[in-house]
Amino acid sequence: MKYFLIFFISFTAPSHVKGEVNASHGEGLAAWDRIYEVVSHPRCANCHVGPSDRPMWSGPSYGDPRPHGMMIRAGESRIGAETIPCRTCHVTNETGGQDTPHAAPQVADAWRLAPVEADWFGRSSDFICAQLRDPDRNGGRTIVELAAHLDHDVILHWAWEPGGTRESAPYDLESHIADLRLWGAAGQPCAFD
Amino acid sequence: MKLIVNGTEHTVNVAEDMPLLWVLRDTLGITDVKYGCGIAQCGACTVHVDGIAVRSCQLAVADVDGDVTTIQGLGAPGALHAVQAAWIEHQVAQCGYCQSGQIMQAASFLDLVPDPTDEDIDAAMSGNLCRCGTYPRIRSAIKTAASSLKSE
Repeated sequence: MKYFLIFFISFTAPSHVKGEVNASHGEGLAAWDRIYEVVSHPRCANCHVGPSDRPMWSGPSYGDPRPHGMMIRAGESRIGAETIPCRTCHVTNETGGQDTPHAAPQVADAWRLAPVEADWFGRSSDFICAQLRDPDRNGGRTIVELAAHLDHDVILHWAWEPGGTRESAPYDLESHIADLRLWGAAGQPCAFD
Repeated sequence: MKLIVNGTEHTVNVAEDMPLLWVLRDTLGITDVKYGCGIAQCGACTVHVDGIAVRSCQLAVADVDGDVTTIQGLGAPGALHAVQAAWIEHQVAQCGYCQSGQIMQAASFLDLVPDPTDEDIDAAMSGNLCRCGTYPRIRSAIKTAASSLKSE
């Protein structure tokens, strides 16, 4: 019976419980507020433009928000294959690359826009909160899978090491992942619940 | 490290983070590729790596993962690439400084998009600046080159 219970718990418990994180509703809402600070920051939001295929330029280095210069279109491919590939300028670097101010940022991965359903730029906290807990709009991910996505996808890590003179996203990668797990443990609450 | 440029293998002894543009111009003496801004804002340094347009000022030489082609490897006198021939037909160049980058960008673009619209051309070529303002002729030449490539 003991082994049955262990089996039952490990395969039926909500995925966020498996991480052994406990959080109250209030702690979950506080974690969400920090998550929103990150996802709405220009280092993240500029490439989360929803149905548009035009990355944005916004943040302290850019003045008023505006579409990426040079009429850049990422197309349906989200990597610019229909016109000019993102990697023509945002080259893929595996060796450390360059860190020149005002140059095109580069990472050890293909530069690209986020998927259409990850629609964050200019969106409210409530809008993104509802989106991120909806499997139909978050790539079908549980909170553990969302956290793993952040951990593994190096283009996301760039937000905290953007190079040049760019302002980095708030907090750091580890605390952002911890906040996601906390939010998940609290049942992914949103302020409008 | 080894680099294949325009079909020829070269061994270069340079720092790994040296931009490909510097290696081409200063180490190998291949000066058809031009320095414009050094920060991927102008497109003058565009070359191909395995056929894809790349700003050579941005690419550390250690990150080059394919064969490099500059404009002198795209075509040769007597055997011009369709884009080079169209450039001559339309007399695109004025001062000419940006034109090797323009041609390399256009050739790679037509490889990906053989039948482009004006909107496609403008989107693909807007990262390549021309102080002489030859843009209308660039667009016309790309259309001519697209027709030539289709009939080849």
